[in-house]
Amino acid sequence: MTGTAVFLQQLVNGLSLGAMYALLALGFTLVYGILELINFAHFNVFMVGAFVGLIVLQSFGLQGQTVLLHGAPLVLALLASLAVTMLASGVLGVLIERYTLRPMRNVRGPMAMITTIGVSYILFNLVLLLTNAQALNYPDPMPSVDYHLGGVTIRLKAVIIWVVAAVLMWGLNLFVRRSRLGKAMRAVAQDAEAARMMGVEVDQVVMIAFFAGSALAGAAGMIFGLYYNFTQYSIGYTAGLRAFTAAVLGGIGNVPGAMVGGLLIGLIETIGSQYIAAKWADVIIFSILIFTLVFRPAGLLGAQSPNRS
Amino acid sequence: MVLSRRNALRGAAGSVLLASASPIARAADKVYHLGITLPLTGADAEAAHLILHGAQLAIKLANQSGELGDIRLEPMILNNATATAGQYDPAQAATNARKLAGTRTVLANVGPEMSGSGKAMAPILSMASLATITPSSTAPDITSPTYAGEFDPGGKPIYFRTVTTDAYQGPNMANFYAEVLKAKSVYLLDDSGAYGVGLANAFEAQARKKGMKVLGRDRLDPKAADYSAVLTKIAATKPASLYYGGTMQAGVKLVKQSYQIIPHVIKGGGDGILSPEMMTAAGFPAAEGWYGTNASPHVVDDPKLANWVALYTKTYGVAPDDYAITAYDAALVAIAGIKAVQKAGKPLTAATVRDAIASVHVNGLQGPISFDKYGDMTSHIVAVFQFHQDKSAPLGDLNKQMRYVGVAPQH
Amino acid sequence: MKRLALLSPRQRQALFAALLMVLLLLPFLGIGQANIDVAANSCAYAALALGLNIVVGFTGLLDLGYAAFFAIGAYAYGILNSFQLHPHWNAAWAPLAAIGFVAKLGAGAAATVHFTFPFWLMLPASAVIAACFGMAFGAPTLRLKGDYLAIVTLGFGEIVPIVARNWSSLTNGAEGLNGVGPPVLFGYRFGINATPYYYVGLGLVLLLLFISLRLKPSRIGRAWMAVREDEIAAGAMGVHTTRLKLLAFAMGAGFAGMTGTFYIAKLQTATPDMFDLPVSIMVLVMIVLGGLASVWGAILGAVLLELLQAWFLPALSGWVQGLGNAIHSPFLQNLQLTSASELIFGIILVTMMLYRRDGIVPVGRNEVRLSYEQQDAAVSRGAAPAVARLRAGLAEASADARPAALEIRDLTVKFGGLTALKSVSLDVPAGGIVAVIGPNGSGKSTLFNSITGLVKPSAGVVRFAERDLLGLRPDQVLRAGVARTFQNIRLFPNLTVMENVLIGQHSHLSAGAAGAVLGLPRVRAEEREARQFVLELLAMFGNRLVPRIDQGVAQLSYANRRRVEIARALASRPRLLMLDEPTAGMNPAESLELAEQIAAFRDFGLTILLVEHKLDVVTRLADNVIVLDHGEKLAEGRADEVRRNEAVIEAYIGRGAVDA
Repeated sequence: MTGTAVFLQQLVNGLSLGAMYALLALGFTLVYGILELINFAHFNVFMVGAFVGLIVLQSFGLQGQTVLLHGAPLVLALLASLAVTMLASGVLGVLIERYTLRPMRNVRGPMAMITTIGVSYILFNLVLLLTNAQALNYPDPMPSVDYHLGGVTIRLKAVIIWVVAAVLMWGLNLFVRRSRLGKAMRAVAQDAEAARMMGVEVDQVVMIAFFAGSALAGAAGMIFGLYYNFTQYSIGYTAGLRAFTAAVLGGIGNVPGAMVGGLLIGLIETIGSQYIAAKWADVIIFSILIFTLVFRPAGLLGAQSPNRS
Repeated sequence: MVLSRRNALRGAAGSVLLASASPIARAADKVYHLGITLPLTGADAEAAHLILHGAQLAIKLANQSGELGDIRLEPMILNNATATAGQYDPAQAATNARKLAGTRTVLANVGPEMSGSGKAMAPILSMASLATITPSSTAPDITSPTYAGEFDPGGKPIYFRTVTTDAYQGPNMANFYAEVLKAKSVYLLDDSGAYGVGLANAFEAQARKKGMKVLGRDRLDPKAADYSAVLTKIAATKPASLYYGGTMQAGVKLVKQSYQIIPHVIKGGGDGILSPEMMTAAGFPAAEGWYGTNASPHVVDDPKLANWVALYTKTYGVAPDDYAITAYDAALVAIAGIKAVQKAGKPLTAATVRDAIASVHVNGLQGPISFDKYGDMTSHIVAVFQFHQDKSAPLGDLNKQMRYVGVAPQH
Repeated sequence: MKRLALLSPRQRQALFAALLMVLLLLPFLGIGQANIDVAANSCAYAALALGLNIVVGFTGLLDLGYAAFFAIGAYAYGILNSFQLHPHWNAAWAPLAAIGFVAKLGAGAAATVHFTFPFWLMLPASAVIAACFGMAFGAPTLRLKGDYLAIVTLGFGEIVPIVARNWSSLTNGAEGLNGVGPPVLFGYRFGINATPYYYVGLGLVLLLLFISLRLKPSRIGRAWMAVREDEIAAGAMGVHTTRLKLLAFAMGAGFAGMTGTFYIAKLQTATPDMFDLPVSIMVLVMIVLGGLASVWGAILGAVLLELLQAWFLPALSGWVQGLGNAIHSPFLQNLQLTSASELIFGIILVTMMLYRRDGIVPVGRNEVRLSYEQQDAAVSRGAAPAVARLRAGLAEASADARPAALEIRDLTVKFGGLTALKSVSLDVPAGGIVAVIGPNGSGKSTLFNSITGLVKPSAGVVRFAERDLLGLRPDQVLRAGVARTFQNIRLFPNLTVMENVLIGQHSHLSAGAAGAVLGLPRVRAEEREARQFVLELLAMFGNRLVPRIDQGVAQLSYANRRRVEIARALASRPRLLMLDEPTAGMNPAESLELAEQIAAFRDFGLTILLVEHKLDVVTRLADNVIVLDHGEKLAEGRADEVRRNEAVIEAYIGRGAVDA
């Protein structure tokens, strides 16, 4: 491979990785925008989503490494699985909000954050115990097709990820900008008290934010499983931490910012692995997090300052 | 923090999980203990239990056969994982070593699993002249004469192994790459764990000696999911072969993704990838063609082993892995030491058993076992296997899904 | 645990002495080396918990990478007292060799250096090293909101073990350090015997306990808790919040670093795996279990958690399996509760947060029962001592300073596209009272916020006593002599009346962390004085607050909370007092009473800027009234003039009718 081809290949790799981080970053951003709460449970809602997706796919008869369905039935089965996974993850997010975070809503300080850490830890260890810490094989129902463009290989799976992620993010953006609930959401994000006075049901808005964020995390989980072809109890932590960095980089609370941040972190990870060393990838990513906070705390696209009162 | 005496006996570090009486025990028997120290909870729990059962089985069979005369041997099972560490915890291992050293009926110990725990335990056991036989800790430092002052202050070796150290497994495989597979170049990966790093280091040194071109060395984060960037980088160097030092946590992802990005490169690893997860999680066709090594002679076709596997599976409801076999052998070594002391008519103490173990010759499941003056196995045979799907056999059956290639050249 | 708080100080001392005696004799109770080792490990975790308690409990900063500082302290000692580094010997090493910090190994050209830095030196040195790392990582993030610290520390907690794994020449990588030297005391070399380590650990815990207990009720400890309770109010009361947060973070890191050195000296090896995320989480669970901010709770939490995982869960597991055998339930027979311990700790964390946020040892809070007379609010005026003191303070301040006049010119504040204040100018002459009125959202609070440094105006000038205030931090504004109250009362809800008002004096006190820990006579005298001043200030409100001085302010009535907030502002001995709707929520009689008190403040020389809705209060007090509407000055003049102004009537009543 030529140097250029390697670079382009790493861009393609980074794009798939970034699409997943972006989906995950949206959940952080939605919740933070409204509650100013870093939701550590989100890490493992994603992980649980991957397992839920596995169960759903298997119940649709999509098992093992062979392509069983083709054409429209395959697409339908996958879409149905994605929908069920998103619904289940969304409900998990709503339950977490309702039973562990709502009672903490007006408690000052790090209490609510500590609660989300506890929830995250519970999900993590529950899955660890249930799966005996084993990695599980994921169904691979999609035909294995590669496109070769001037030394660069693009896999069909990657293209599908980009399309699904783009559609989901576009849908979310539309929802936040256009729908009545989305507008209410933005109103609460700007000033919860004023929004309440204007008749916005804050509880409902928070619930929707958790549902949407967790559903996207679930989608990211299932896409993760299909793309990497495996899942394990430990996948949430690293991906979640990077996704959070992406949200901060793009400007936390800012929906397009999370998408841009996700893609950037994905690219930084692959380019950094190529030209520095994979073992320093985490160090590079966290350095970026710290530099962002020092020099541009509002993020690349963020309008609001994180130290507002 | 203040425990009553009764509680202290029961719990000490609190890590005695169970010490169940053997059903055929005779009341008059004098009871001695064989310690088993493993990370039985947390992320390593599953693997640790397979090892545990291997040692338990040896003890059970020894008691049943009556070969121990008027004594009965019971396992004293100590967990060296803590919730605080989330995995194996060297501090707990040190506590357990003190517990073992402070219990007069303990004659020897099987364990630990990780070299990190071994480093914490060795000086304490050394001062107490209590032998420990590890079925899986392969870091050469602990038994190296260079560090004898730190890890063996008592002066007599107490850290015995029924596995070969990384000092042989890696280099022998490098010989195999160079001489048998005729690989001209290699790219090295490890999983940032002590085992994987040590293995890859040892391979790298020997590969250079053999004139192979080392194209690069990188380290995988076992918690990360995407290795496509590293693999793309590797693909660009066009290596003839890839060697991976590490376990299946990173291995599952590496095997899957390397199948897509560098399908035509020779790929291999150490005993860390000879795991059922290679088939159940990584799966075929990705695993097809990977080489792996075992730090012991290949004995799987031996009917003795087949019977043993059946017995193990029946007794504990799970199939044994490689380390279950070395753990069984480790317990056999301890038992042989005890029998030698009995035969010589000496009193049974940890120190006499240690002396006996140092010169013991045992026929283990993996073949004849004896130790050099540092406590390492005199046999340095490394067996090479290659994964090859057998659709007629169960997917998780390691012995069916790979084939024996031969003994790696030793030089 | 409440009963513990009821014990007299002497009884408590006796209890502590008895407990200490038991702990000192512990190794001689025949519990065996393994249990002494467990006790020594518990000491290490108790020390860690005490450090994290300063960061999370006192200051309210969530530190999720705490184990990183533990690791730094551990490796600092591990590298400087082992064979890991062995540079070639040359003469430059000789001075270090002479004092025993290094030793020469071998001879001639092949000679190398063996590092043997003494444990007793490395114990404080590791604390300093870890604290420096804490400051380096805390400084960029601590000026932001607390949430960011959580994520940055999480990242830092990841990075440190990664560096330890990858930088093999320094740390021996994943294989772990070999042969870290044990401590040596008067020629006695600690070997593998657990007992001496236990005593060192116990000593470490006692030291850190002492430091924590001394700091908590000090000026520094109060400021930390103020930051935790309400960062904005803390800043407005003169606390340099960033610096105090950094101090807490560095101190927590220092505790962890020290503990790391102890831990590694005992273990004589260190691997990167020992410092992963679960350690940070477990220490957090310990302090949550014991009660955030409770010093004794941190220790109890650590000990309980160790006992839970070392003894209780395995024992419970045994009982459950026994029960399973008895009732022939295969499920119970095979249940291993120990495998689920992390899960159980996660559940503890969430349960404590939801149902018992104060932990099992809540921070002591005296429930004072007031007598009937005390509840009957008789107002006595005067409170002469406080007035005299305030006057003296003012005289002292004005002797060298310029007149306490506030001057605002063309102040403009924009939030995104919205203009909250448009070119507003106003003057408050020294010793005068000016009131700002206007409908909701007219920009009154924004005006206050821009004067006190909470909001950055886009244009304009704010001068007080001929000094520019714009661009100053809130605590600098307070030091310039401007104190304020807030429209929606920003007291420190979990602190007592006394503590709240003491924090108002923060900028006038000088005790630092070291002075508080050492209990210097100067610091004690200053503290006594400060408490006396609080009593005098509160006496201005008759017996409304004095009997409730040790109550949490959250239990006070709304009007009393307003009074505490005013007293807190006065405690800073300001020259300009800014009151944001001081009588809101008070009945007419109480409003009148407060108005009289405010008039009295003016009488002893304070300049006052007032936001007020109640026009009768405004009329009674203000020399001059300024009306704001939509961020613009609508009218200005004497109260009765303004009341008749057409535009004002329209703004208030016209739109008021529409809004309602």
